[in-house]
Parts: sequence; C-alpha cells; structure tokens
Amino acid sequence: MTTLAEPAAHELPLTAAQSGMWYAQALDPESPAQNTAEYLEIHAAVDPHAFGEALRRVAAEADALRVRIADGPDGPRQWYAAPAAFPLEVLDLAEDAALAWMRADLARPFDLAAEPPFRHALIRVGERRWFWYQRVHHIVMDGYGYSLLARRTAEAYTALAAGADPGPSPFGSLADLVAEDAAYRASDAFAADREHWAAAFADHPEVITLAGRTALPSRTFLRRSAHLDPEATDKLKAVAGSVRATWPEVLIAAQALYVSRATRTTDVVLGLPMMGRMGSAALRIPGMVMNVLPLRLTVTPDATFAELTRQVVLGIRAARKHQRYRYEDIRRDLGLLGEGRALTGPLVNVMPFDYDLTFAGARADAHNLSAGPVEDLTVNVYDRTDGRGLRIDYDVNPALYADAEVAAHQERFLDLLGRLAVADPHARLSEHGIATELERAEVLLKFNDTARPVPPTTLVGPIEARAMRTPHATAVVHGLDALTYAQLDARANQLARHLATLGVRPGALAAVAVPRSLDLVVTLLAVLKAGGAYLPLDPDYPAARLAYMLEDAAPACVITDVADRLPDTAGVPQVVLDGLDLSAYLTINPPRALTPQHPAYVIYTSGSTGRPKGVVVPHSAIDNRLRWMQAEYGLEPSDRVLQKTPSGFDVSVWEFFWPLREGATLVVADPGGHQDPDYLARTIREQAITTCHFVPSMLQVFLGAAEAAGAAGPLRRVFCSGEALPRETAADFHRVLPGVPLHNLYGPTEAAVDVTYHACEPGSSGPVPIGRPVWNTRLYVLDEAGQPCPPGVPGELYLAGAQLADGYLGRPELTDERFVPDPYGPLGTRMYRTGDLARWTADGEVEYLGRTDHQVKLRGLRIELGEIEAALAADDTVNGAGVLVREDRPGDQRLVGYVTGSDADPKALRERLAARLPEYMVPGAIVVLDAFPLSPNGKLDRKALPAPSYEGAAARAPRTPLEETLTRLFAEALGLDRVGVEDAFFDLGGTSLLAARLVTRLRETLGAELTIGTLFQAPSPAALAARLEEGGAADDALGVLLPLRATGSRTPLFALHPAGGLSWCYSALLARLDPEQPVYGLQARGLTGVGELPRTLEDMAADYAAQIRSVQPHGPYRLLGWSVGGVVAQAVAVRLREAGERVELLALLDAYPSDQWRGLAVPVEADALRALLRMAGFDQEGELTTEGVLATLRREGSALAGLSQRTLRAVLDIVVNNARLMREHDTRVFDGDALFFTAAAPREEDWLTRKAWAPYIGGTLENHDIDCLHQELTQPERMDEIAEVLRARLR
Amino acid sequence: MPLTVEQIRADVADVLGEEPDDIPVDENLVDYGLDSVRIMSLLERWRRDHGVEASFADLAEQPAVEAWAPMLGAAA
Repeated sequence: MTTLAEPAAHELPLTAAQSGMWYAQALDPESPAQNTAEYLEIHAAVDPHAFGEALRRVAAEADALRVRIADGPDGPRQWYAAPAAFPLEVLDLAEDAALAWMRADLARPFDLAAEPPFRHALIRVGERRWFWYQRVHHIVMDGYGYSLLARRTAEAYTALAAGADPGPSPFGSLADLVAEDAAYRASDAFAADREHWAAAFADHPEVITLAGRTALPSRTFLRRSAHLDPEATDKLKAVAGSVRATWPEVLIAAQALYVSRATRTTDVVLGLPMMGRMGSAALRIPGMVMNVLPLRLTVTPDATFAELTRQVVLGIRAARKHQRYRYEDIRRDLGLLGEGRALTGPLVNVMPFDYDLTFAGARADAHNLSAGPVEDLTVNVYDRTDGRGLRIDYDVNPALYADAEVAAHQERFLDLLGRLAVADPHARLSEHGIATELERAEVLLKFNDTARPVPPTTLVGPIEARAMRTPHATAVVHGLDALTYAQLDARANQLARHLATLGVRPGALAAVAVPRSLDLVVTLLAVLKAGGAYLPLDPDYPAARLAYMLEDAAPACVITDVADRLPDTAGVPQVVLDGLDLSAYLTINPPRALTPQHPAYVIYTSGSTGRPKGVVVPHSAIDNRLRWMQAEYGLEPSDRVLQKTPSGFDVSVWEFFWPLREGATLVVADPGGHQDPDYLARTIREQAITTCHFVPSMLQVFLGAAEAAGAAGPLRRVFCSGEALPRETAADFHRVLPGVPLHNLYGPTEAAVDVTYHACEPGSSGPVPIGRPVWNTRLYVLDEAGQPCPPGVPGELYLAGAQLADGYLGRPELTDERFVPDPYGPLGTRMYRTGDLARWTADGEVEYLGRTDHQVKLRGLRIELGEIEAALAADDTVNGAGVLVREDRPGDQRLVGYVTGSDADPKALRERLAARLPEYMVPGAIVVLDAFPLSPNGKLDRKALPAPSYEGAAARAPRTPLEETLTRLFAEALGLDRVGVEDAFFDLGGTSLLAARLVTRLRETLGAELTIGTLFQAPSPAALAARLEEGGAADDALGVLLPLRATGSRTPLFALHPAGGLSWCYSALLARLDPEQPVYGLQARGLTGVGELPRTLEDMAADYAAQIRSVQPHGPYRLLGWSVGGVVAQAVAVRLREAGERVELLALLDAYPSDQWRGLAVPVEADALRALLRMAGFDQEGELTTEGVLATLRREGSALAGLSQRTLRAVLDIVVNNARLMREHDTRVFDGDALFFTAAAPREEDWLTRKAWAPYIGGTLENHDIDCLHQELTQPERMDEIAEVLRARLR
Repeated sequence: MPLTVEQIRADVADVLGEEPDDIPVDENLVDYGLDSVRIMSLLERWRRDHGVEASFADLAEQPAVEAWAPMLGAAA
C-alpha cells in the first residue's frame, strides 16, 4: 500500500465496510487473503471478443471496479482512475491446468493504489466449455455484488453476441453508497444500534472456536467441499417448512448445536454474513456492503430442535434491525480489536440462490474459489440447482486446523444434518450427539474392549496364600528392621484376632493412625484379616480434620502407635500398639465371612466444596486393580517396592499390598521421607528399590536433586499419578534416569486408585496421555447432553466397570449425584462422574485437560491454566511451575505464575512467555519460590501460594537507540508525552487507525519491513524492538559502526559521535530525513570497556575513514558531526580527500576546531558526566553525580539510562580521552565547503566562534543559526530545523 | 389470476409464520422477519401462480405490501 500525498480528483472516503477491509489488508499488505474469486463454467463455445467487450462495458459501468485506493493524510481514500490496460487474459488450457492457473492467480495480491482491483480470464477448456474467471479484491466487491456483475455480464454478452446493444447500465453509483453510509453513521439509528450491540455483548461471552485456540489470519485458507445428499437436503427443507423456518435457518440451528457440543458451551455466538441491502439503493450497486451479524444463541440439551430453530428465526429478526452497524465496530466497542479477539465462533455463510444465468442461451454453473479471508472457520453453503443437494464447504484458517480435523468436523456436521432431517424436530436436543455412528462405536466399544475374567478374590486372600507359599522370604523392611512373610502373617493374625474382639469384622471399619513403620503394615493387614475395612488417619492431618473423620466414619475402634497420638477420639475405643501384649492370640488366619463385595478400605477425599467425604472401596474393585497391575507390569519376588505415599492417599494401597501379593519386598520409607528428594534418592540406591511412585510435582523436585541420577541403577519402573504429568517432567525423567520406564496412571479414589495407564516414551511430544482403560473398565467422554464425544472433542470423563467404589460413606444423596446410571453399559450398572475434562485421541488413549469445575474464565476468556504452566515449565530457567487466578483485591482477578528455579527472572520470563502465549494468558505477576508448598499427600497446595506484590520495579528505561526511537514514535502516534518501553500500544488507547499510521511512520523512519500484524504480536516498544532486531542483522548498539538505517537508495550519511562516543543521538534524524536516506553512526572504540582508546585524533579519523569505506567504498561522501564529532568529521574529510575521493557534504553541528580548546584544563569526571548528559540533550545545574545523571536520563526516557555500569565507566573514560585528543590535534585543511549549525543562544564559553574554522575550510562555510544551547541541538524541535536544511543537501 | 393485497398479506404471513391480520401494509416487513430467502420464495410462488414479472431487487428495495402492490399488479 503506497501512501500518496495528493490523491487524484473525484475522491471519496471509504465506506465503513471498506475501512474494515482496508485495515485487514494493512495487517499484511502482501497478503492475497482479501482476494475473492469465482469462475463460471459456460456450457457452450464462447466468442472471446464479444465476451471481452461485455466485460469492459460492465467494468466501466460498475464504479467500484474503477477505483484505486491508498492511504492519505486523513485516512484511506478511493478515487476513480483513468482507464488502464484492461486486465483480461484469454487462455486455452486443459481443465486441470485451468484450475491450477486460477489457483495461482488467486495467490497474487492486488496493489490497490496502482492497479485495477479486479482481473478476468476467459479459459477455453473444451470445444463447448469455457471458464470465465474473475478475481476481485473484497474491498470493492461482496458476494451479492458478484451476482449483479455476473447478471449484467450475461445480459451484455447475450446482446453483443446477437449484434444488439446491451442497453443502459442498470447500476447505481458508488457515490450513493458512500453517501448512504455517511448518512447512517451520522444518524440516531447509528447511535441506537451501537447501544444495542454494546448491551447484547456487555458480558463478553466466551470466544468459541472449534480449534480451541486463536491465531492471526493466514494468507490462505484451506477448503474442503462436500454435499448433503439430495434426499437429506429435501427432508431438511421439509423439516424447515414444518417448523415455519427457512432451510438456512435450520442449517444455522444445526451448526449452533454442533458448536455447542463440540466446545462444551451453551452460549453460542455464530457469525452470519449478510448482504446488508434490504430496503436500500445498494440492491442495484455492485460494491462492498456485506456485514457480519453476530447471532447469540442459548443451546441447552433440554430444548427441542424446533425451539432452537425458532430462536434462530427470532434472533435474526431482532438482530436485523441493527444490521447496518459494522461487525468491526462492535468488536472495537467491546475492546476486542486490540486483543486481536474474535466476537463470534464459526461464520455460517449461506448463499441460497443460484445465479441461474444464460450466456447467449448457454447454461452456466457458478463455482466459488474464494469467499474472502478466513479467521477461524467459515461454513459456506450453496443451494445450486445441479441436483446434487446442498454444497457445504468448510473454509478454515490453516494455522488452526489440520486437514483431518476439518474433514472430521465437516463429516460430523453432515452426519448431524442427515439425522436432524429424519428426526422429530420436537424431540429434545439431548437425543442428538455429534459423533457419527462409526465414531460412537469406536469410543464406546472399541476403545473400551477391556473385559477380562478374574477370580472372585479379596485384597487380603492372595497375601495369605503368598505367606503360605514363601514364608521365609522378606516381606517388609524398614531401615534395619525386617519381617519375613511368616512373621508378618503371624503378627497380623494376632492383632486381627484382638481387633475382632472389638467388633472389627466384614462390613465394619477400623481407623488406623500409625506413622509409616513396620507396625503400620502389620496393622493394615490385621484389619483386613479381621474382615474389616481400614480407615487411614494420617497423623500429620490437622486435629480438627481427624476428629471430623472419626465422628463421620464411626469406626469400631482406632489403632494408634502411642497413647497420645490422637488428641480426641470422640468416644471411639483406642487400641494402642505401644505395650500391647498379643501373645495370647493364635498366629493363624482368623475366621471371617468376607466376600469380594465387602469394603476393603475407606479413604477420605476433600471435595472442591464442602466437607471431606469417605469413599468406600470394595475388595472386588481393588482386587481387579491389583490383578491388572500384575498382568501389566509383572512384579517378581526379586522386586523391592518403596512405600512412601501417606496411607491417606490411595496410591499407598497398591504400594502396601501389590508386593505382598506377589512375594516381593516392601521397603517402608521413614515418616516424612517422601518429601525429601535426597533421602529418596539415597534410599532407592541403598535399598535397591525397583519400583516406586511419584506425584508429578514431587517427581520434578526429585529429578532436580543432586543424587537423583544414582537411582537409575536399581529402578525397573516408576509410576506417576495424582496430577497431570507435564511432558517436560517426563522428558526430564528420561534424561536423568535413562532406560527406566515411566508409567502415567490416572484415577480418582472413587475408582480404586487408577483406571487408565500410559507408558511414556522418550522423545514423544505434546501432552502426556492418561492412556487406556484397565481391565473390566470403561471410559466415557461425554458432552453436556451425555452423548459420547468423538475423538479430539473435549468432554467430561465418566468411569464405569469393576473398579467403581460403593459410594460415599453415609452420604446416599452425594453418591447418587456422582454415581449415576450408565446408559452405555449393561442394565443396572453405574458410572462415576469425575468432573475431569478429557478427550480421546484418534488411537484410543485419553488426554486429561483439567477440571470441569476449575475452569478459569478471565474477562470472558476461557483459560487453560495447564497451558500456561506448560509454557513456563518449558523455559530453561524454570524447574517447576504453577499458575492460578488470584483475587487478592475484590473484583480484581489476576493471573499469577509461580515458578521454582534459582536462575528464574520474573521479568525476563514474562517477556519470553509473551512471545509464546496470547497477551491475556501471560501472568501479570510471576513469583519465584524456593519450593512449592505441598499438601500432606504431596500435591501442590494452591491455597498456600503467596500473593504477589504488584508494585515491582518502575518501568525500565529504553536500552537501545531503537527502543528509544520506538518509544518516541509510539508517544507521537498516541498523542502522549511519554510511553514506557513495555507499554502495549493498544492498552494506551491505540486503535487500528492509529496503528496503521504508526506502522507507516515506522516504515519510513526505520526502513523496517513491518505490518500492523507485527504490532499486534509485539505491541510494546521493547517487544517490537526485539522483533525488529531479530529480523535484521543483530546490530550491536555499542559497535564502531552503528547502522541507524541501513536501507535506502541514496548515498549514506555518516554521523560521527560527540564527546561521549555514542551516536544514538542521531536516531532523531531518521524520522526527519527521506526514508530512502541510509544513516550510519560512527561510535568510539572502547565503549564495551575492551580495547585501547585511540592515541591521537588522526588515528581515530583514519579508523573511521576505513569503517566508512567498508560501507561505501567510494565517494561522494556525506559526513556530519556534532561537537567533537564535527572536528573528527573534518579530519575524516581531509583523509578521504587525500585518497582522491569526493566529499559532498561536511555538516558541523556547533563544532569548534582544536585551537579554541587548547590551553583549557582537561575535564575531570564531573565534566564527563555533563558531557554524557549533554549527549542525551540535557543539562543540569550544580554538582553532578553518576546517580543523579542516571536518574535524569531515566526520567527523560533516554536510552542512555539503560547503559550498564561498565559502559558508563567506559563513556566517562572516552569523554576524558576525547578532550585530550581535541587539545592535542593539529587541524589540517579540508579543501571543500562546510555546512555549519550554530547553537546561537548566549553561552558560557563565549570565546567559541565558527570563524576559527576559516584557516581549515578551503571552500565556503554556510551558517545556520539555531536558537538553542549547544546541548539542545538534538532535541526534536531543533532537529526539525537542522533536518530541513539537510534535506535540501541530501537529494 | 391477479394478486390482491389480501392475498399478498396472506402469503407474506405464511412465510413469516404469522397471522395475516398481524401483517401491516405500510410498514417495513424486514422488521417482521422478511429476508432475502423469504422474498425469493414469495417471488417464485407469485411468478408461478400469478405471472408476476417483478425482480428480486424490486421487492427488496421497498419491502412493504403497499409498495409491492402496483409492481405485483394487485388491486387494492
């Protein structure tokens, strides 16, 4: 897009509709995405001359096709251009080649300022078959406009082919369209419409997308075409008639139903492209008028399809009254533009009419090639009269959808339409799912094919059998103590017989409050042997919680190790192991009437709300779980299993009992040992542990321990469960413990520990699946109507089968709420509702996506905290990460990230995160912790995370000249005094209009290739500077040669540094000189604090001359220098002349030759500080300190404030050195002219005079007085004056 | 058979799912839910049954029964 200073006559502003397109194009000027195209297949021989004549005639009649469009000082304008070469090609191609040619042409962007906004081709593909192809920029034409053009073209060709005159133009004028638009925007209706939409979306409904994420529009779209078969099409139209709607309305309702189920939302907003011409003169004007109407619908499973369709009819009717208000305006009003956010989900673009045209009697079929840019998904529906049924094209943004995903969505939608066409429209929507019949069978049956016969045993039976078989094998070890199977069995039997006397029997409960020890193992086994179910009471739990559990469960007794273990047992009889004499009891198995249906244990879990609840797990459930585990992982007698999970957490159940059932050894960790990574590493090594379990967050901590790698020797398998396992943790595991298998398991306490399993493979990427169902277990991923979700679609996870718990102890209502009838299983079976969000992968594994009830919604955006956590965890400086939404001040919800890692720097982390995640997903604060607070069972304790302090450090100063230039240009574009380097453009009130201006200005100033799109992605000066530096050669801001603007066709200008050695001050010239004028700064050696400073000014000049010649080998040269830089520039000029080169410009900015300085004292540090300050364009009275100067620079937003201490030191040395060089320099004669700028305000050094140059300038010295002090010369207003003079010299 | 204003109202009411009495003759029918698809279906019906020759743009430009009557050859 070229900027034209003076547009031609007859110019018009753009309509609001066109402006939207204009800014969309400005996002990416080279993008062909705004192209629209179609071809008409004409079934006859075509006379290309007559057709060409018809096209020329129609193009002349349609004002919109005659315009050129460009940005101007008051925004974009359009004007009528003089007739240009007519863009028509006549080709003779085979059909494939013709299609390829059209596709290639469609990929070419228009230059709206310089060429017609359309292009035609007539392609002969057969004797009696021609394609008429046209491509038009969307900014001048919409779909209805196409139909007007096609109709008129058919009419004109038909007349011309018959030798007749086509008659007068049927079209209205573009000016009318512009006037109608302007009148509307000035009307009361406009204001009323704005209010209507602001109110309709005031609550910022969730942005819905089938892709589950957003991206900037791509330059192309991916299209997949399909047809709803004619029979279904007819039936669907009949359904429409029966509910007094049109078929497009029925189709929109069906899409709303699909989107609702696929995205788990009842609040669906679809976008409906509308022709926008009802009751308007625009009905006869080909142009860009169409608008997108947001249609907001509530889709609930209990409504009927007829009701949903009625909602569509009435919704469109209501919205239509406000349909002239632009979609882009609604987005802007809602503040969505700056965030690059959509307002609607998929667009449903229904084209209900065929053209039904004839060309000189020949039939023609229309084929759309592009309906315009695709942000996310556009469903284009055509009702062609070709007898093939409705054509339903899915156009998607390829950045968001893979081919297979589009295909799946489209096939399911067609399948759904087919079912709706034959279903009773008055049936409830809950009867319809979105999975196809094939997908249903797959997710319900194939993925759940887990039936496996198991014997009717209990948890404890196989342990007793094992004790009989291998009595002398070591059963359990703790430190130096150990028990054989016979010893363990005997002790447990004695205790069991004692417990039986206290009422512990099948169906009864016994609480166990014993710290991890051999006694704990004996006690748990004893309870089971007595036939009872054990209730673990973690002695670390708060007393109130323990008391609550005892009261709630009312066990027959509570067993403790010592007398005062529990503060209050609420009247429950205690069995204290310390000092208990059981020698009178028999050591053989006690008698009991235990069946697999009796409860084995009760474990309390905390719900998200309310009080903890006891989950009652029967023997059959845990027996199935352990039988599956043995079949899958094959524990052997040589295995040693670490017991480190607290007994109140159900993972401990397999730790305790799996090894004892299989004859392996159970190694008990010290109490508290599970939280000490070094202890664990040592124990695994010393105790030769082969099998253990970690909660993922603890695994991450463990892997970071110094001794973790030593665990690789003995370990044969490691299990993870209890939390989502981040891929990064799995990758770390494989790195630290190569060769050790890692298994990810999942399951709630309500389904006997684990119900899914997945073996992690080294080198895999993406989320770690929780895997497939275990034996005799079924998984269902269901949508909100309880219908199965197809693979890839998130839904709530339900569990069914052998491992379900009986329910919650004494809580029948809660049990009925969570354990519901299983509609997909055998009659009378139940399924457990997990509250977890999950989806099937295509090959039958399940991915965990978070909690349904922990979903975070911030300002209407659904945020997956897991995604942010994964992004944080992927950073090299981060070991572990957690993210949550805090509301530390009422109503002020903020995203806060927590990380561990000694090198983690919150600020840098946020910057890197901003490069990976949308702005709204970047935590406002990141807190670095020494360690994560963990709950007693080893999970992250979110409630214990500290609140961040929001004060933080003040905004940092610009660090580079580029950042300084950008902050200045941002401020200028926004009309602000100052902008921080990290302030986002759109947060400061930037609009897309201002953005377009800023981008133009940035391109001119920096010669940088960037678009509004760049600005959306990198909205702050700092981010943009990083982006620009990334793109170009990494320019070293402290290098000798500083390319301020390396591009441009003109002879470069070389600007030599003032006393401080930095040339950043010259960046102010960039915006003031022609964009084609390259500018290079020459900077002092030694700024990085390395290397020697030059010994003479002549040495320095020789060095700089060589640097200049490395950029521009031969003259004419252009030199400029301020202060000391002027003296050096003159010396460089002398050297270049000596080499036989021409110097066409020597500009001296208030620079005085050495003679004037000789004899003056060499400056001390205070003077050097002043020089630094002056280099930034400031001065300060009184004594100067380094801190004071830095504070001033920071306050004034100077990039110099960002200099490191080391550079600052170097600058001060350079100032002192330059002062010495100046005094020692013998100025030589330059035999050319000089351009001089005098800082003309009265100054202290009143002896300084430009006349001193007379002996050393052979030509003339042209002076310009600038009314300011020496140090003020590089301030913006002064630079304006200087640049004006320079511009005349820099042609 | 030529169209009558009453027949126009009845047909419009039919495509809108309303009662003929609720269809005004002098108001913008867009506010009552008339859209391009419904205009086309009316036009097809009237072309077939009454030999009407008006175009889509003719009807869409002034969407009111009163404005349509002369174009549709309907007597008041």
